[in-house]
Amino acid sequence: MTDSAPASTHSAHEAVLALADDELCIGQNLVWWIAVGPFLEEDLALTSISQDELGHARALYGLLGDDIDALAYGRQPHEYRSAHLTELPCRDWGETLVRHFLYDTAETVRWAALADSSWDALGAVARRALAEERSHLRHASGLLSWLLRTEAGRSQLLPLFDQFVPMACELFHLPPGCSQEALLADGVMDRSLSDQRAEWQSGVDGAVASAGYQPQWPADGAATASASGRAGQRSAHFAALHAEMVEVLSIDPTAVW
Amino acid sequence: MKTYEVFLKRPGKDPFTHVGALEAPDDDLALSFARDCYTRRSEGDQMWVVAREDLLVADPVELEMADRPHRHNDGTLLRDLRQAGSQPAS
Repeated sequence: MTDSAPASTHSAHEAVLALADDELCIGQNLVWWIAVGPFLEEDLALTSISQDELGHARALYGLLGDDIDALAYGRQPHEYRSAHLTELPCRDWGETLVRHFLYDTAETVRWAALADSSWDALGAVARRALAEERSHLRHASGLLSWLLRTEAGRSQLLPLFDQFVPMACELFHLPPGCSQEALLADGVMDRSLSDQRAEWQSGVDGAVASAGYQPQWPADGAATASASGRAGQRSAHFAALHAEMVEVLSIDPTAVW
Repeated sequence: MKTYEVFLKRPGKDPFTHVGALEAPDDDLALSFARDCYTRRSEGDQMWVVAREDLLVADPVELEMADRPHRHNDGTLLRDLRQAGSQPAS
């Protein structure tokens, strides 16, 4: 990183690490759907999306160092910065869909704030990812809008919004010690997180309003308490998720692919 | 769910080629599923997705060919005549 001022360097690295860890965890969790999706097209779509997310993680880790595998797999649990939402297994397809919708709506906003980054390489990753996120979002919101037209869909999916929304707010938090002011001042990111969160929130509200629903949003400041993932505290699901990611490496540490 | 037919075109002079079909509840999701099912490895840089019900389907009876050997000229008659060094009978 040569083209952004030193004041923001540490914060930019921490912010990128958090984004990368989100992508890694959600990508790994979506992979679970391979061969067991509810119908063939959806099976392929979810796993294709998971590969896109893992690709984003790879690109982001690549901004932080040359040894991508060491970054992705080799850290201690407390060194990960993933939001707890991304660590949830979501083995129920309805849960996966609601999380996917919340996450990709958030991603579209987050990447857009980085697309013109003063960190050129980050901007390039963001613009590439943004094109894919639009397609992910079309998938998530398309399915959601169809299912919310049915009573069964509403009764199964809407309660999940209240369950996941407080956790999803963590997506708009930076790790401790990461200065939003520095990121904005140096143009690494061109929009405040509270602005980004507001846009995300109105996107989510809009999608469920047709079903006569209003998610219960935690107050802006209250979400700090739920940002423990960013601070390095892992959720109960992380250990199993991480064990699955490093399964091959733990059998053969010299494995390459 | 509606059935959609998917066509892909690779970069260059190749024509659009039918690659398969899928089911989706609407046009937007059809495009989304088509991207994920058929272009995961950059199999094409252009894609057409068409609702099967919008295709014009010819009556197979009209396509049945009677015995029309003259439409299957493979050039062998002319070749044989040339090799024999003779002119076609006039």
